[in-house]
Amino acid sequence: MSVAEYVYDQDKVSTLLSTVIRNNGNEKANNWLQQRLQLQQQTGAIPQFNQTFTAIPRFTGKEMIRISTTESEQLQALLPSFFVQGWTLDRLARVWWLLQLPVTNKSVYLEVVENLFNAAEMNELAALYSALPLLPWPEEWTARTSEGIRSNIGVVQEAIMLRNPYPAKYLSEPAWNQLVMKAIFTDKPLHLIIGLDERANAALATILVDFAHERWAAGRTLDPMQWRVLVNFVGEANFADITRVWHSVNSTEKEAAALVCAQCHYPPAKALLATDPALQAEIQAGSITWDTLAQKIIK
Amino acid sequence: MCGIHDLTEKDLQPLTYSPAYLNKIKGMRFFDPHVHMTARTTDDYQAMADAGVVAIIEPAFWLGQPRTGVDTFRDYFSSLLGWERFRASQFGIKHYCTIGLNSKEANNEKLAEAVMEILPQFIYKEGVVGVGEIGFDDQTPLEEKYYRAQLELAKEAGLPVQIHTPHRDKKKGTQRSMDIALEHGLEPHMIIVDHNNEETVKEVLDRGFWAAFTIYPFTKMGNERMVAVVKQYGSERIMVNSAADWGISDPLAVPKTAALMHESGIDSNDIHLVTYTNAVKAFAQSGQINEADFDVAANIDQSEKFNGSSILRGGQQPRIDKNTTIIR
Repeated sequence: MSVAEYVYDQDKVSTLLSTVIRNNGNEKANNWLQQRLQLQQQTGAIPQFNQTFTAIPRFTGKEMIRISTTESEQLQALLPSFFVQGWTLDRLARVWWLLQLPVTNKSVYLEVVENLFNAAEMNELAALYSALPLLPWPEEWTARTSEGIRSNIGVVQEAIMLRNPYPAKYLSEPAWNQLVMKAIFTDKPLHLIIGLDERANAALATILVDFAHERWAAGRTLDPMQWRVLVNFVGEANFADITRVWHSVNSTEKEAAALVCAQCHYPPAKALLATDPALQAEIQAGSITWDTLAQKIIK
Repeated sequence: MCGIHDLTEKDLQPLTYSPAYLNKIKGMRFFDPHVHMTARTTDDYQAMADAGVVAIIEPAFWLGQPRTGVDTFRDYFSSLLGWERFRASQFGIKHYCTIGLNSKEANNEKLAEAVMEILPQFIYKEGVVGVGEIGFDDQTPLEEKYYRAQLELAKEAGLPVQIHTPHRDKKKGTQRSMDIALEHGLEPHMIIVDHNNEETVKEVLDRGFWAAFTIYPFTKMGNERMVAVVKQYGSERIMVNSAADWGISDPLAVPKTAALMHESGIDSNDIHLVTYTNAVKAFAQSGQINEADFDVAANIDQSEKFNGSSILRGGQQPRIDKNTTIIR
């Protein structure tokens, strides 16, 4: 039976996460989590709930989790774009623990979780933001997400920005644009932002072009991946900029410009791409994509 | 990765300029168990990392300006567990803290009551290695009341206690601090008595407590005196810290003292004990210190996620050459 407050099959996800935790935890950690769960179900005490959330790493340790392909596929089917790969066991256990908080009273639930955010240390914050796609009443967490984007702490920014499907689904356009710009300013691998293409918009395209002008004026470089956001917004106003990137001596920048030209619908851009048939052919053959570019940028 | 900072290997290397004392302590690792980094700049973090400081403890303290509400305490505690911890990690330094109500602000009873209420939310957090710094300033009845209450808290949580001993009437204040701790049933090995001097050290050590010394110009210990203390009392249960804060102080006090000890012919093992091992051992009784973490310095959460050292480097800060007039 699934609970209406959740927008996915919460029971199944909770059970699956619990299995992954059990497979990764040692006996002591698993027993402790089980005891805490029983106690929680019996008493429903909030201080007990908070204390468990805080104490989790003391019992689970902080090893990187292993997850089987089957489990990973099951999770994808239940919650598309929700990733736990690369998480440490304490983070996974904390996210699972949040799913054990009763949703019988909405205001109590919101208050408890907001309090966890307010008193959280660095890794607790990362776990809380990682859990956003799993929380009930998803529309209630948008202000909190925007607040998290303002954080200066790298692991917190990453928990929200990278491989997290929540922001693309629920943030307003200004908040989304702030997320993308903050990711650029803090050197995040942009291709790991879920919804980067789908949530691209004209306002963001303009902000990015202005940003490029600032960087160029200062004699600084840009992440070539940012041009990807312009794909559906190439026109007279920014074609000179795309052309400038195309003429860059840096091959990743030129490839980025070429990909924009190949994917946009602006005829002069198509003509520009045609001036380099070899590059055009590589894009057509799929040997240059945003993913291959991302790999080059990371190296 | 490419982007805003465009770091190269060169940007991450220590500065070519290095003070002569650094040669004497080359390759040594230091643990500064008392330093108020919220009051310090990134230059200090870089200098500390270059001098071999791998981990620090930031005790909760007062801020120079008295606080008027519990929320500013909450935010301060959160910043010790959040932003400051991350800031340190950017320089490869592992940041721990102790959490407590300091003695000065214990004198504001209404505020102190409110702070006591929120302390249990913080002392169980990851990386909280003790209750501190607590104890006496003016040795008022209110200071005693909250000192006692926090000793009980530490006992319940199984955490070490970091005791601030007073500037004025120090000897008596130090004795009282120890008497009261024993009265509450705490074991001396769980108590780090801080800011010792030549007058207090003997009794602290004789009674089985840890004796910490703060190398802080003008008001606390000088490091020449510290050398003499170690020559006289040895290295057992003694540790050195900087307590650097917003006053005239020196975040390099621990490595500098190690260099001076080396110059003065103190055995390397003893130097290692008083500038690293003893502090690790005392505070590791919290169960919250893992020396292996010093090497990965808090970047553990992002280290393997994207398969490549370039991402790890993304969390690090580029070096800036301070000897040029050009700023880029």
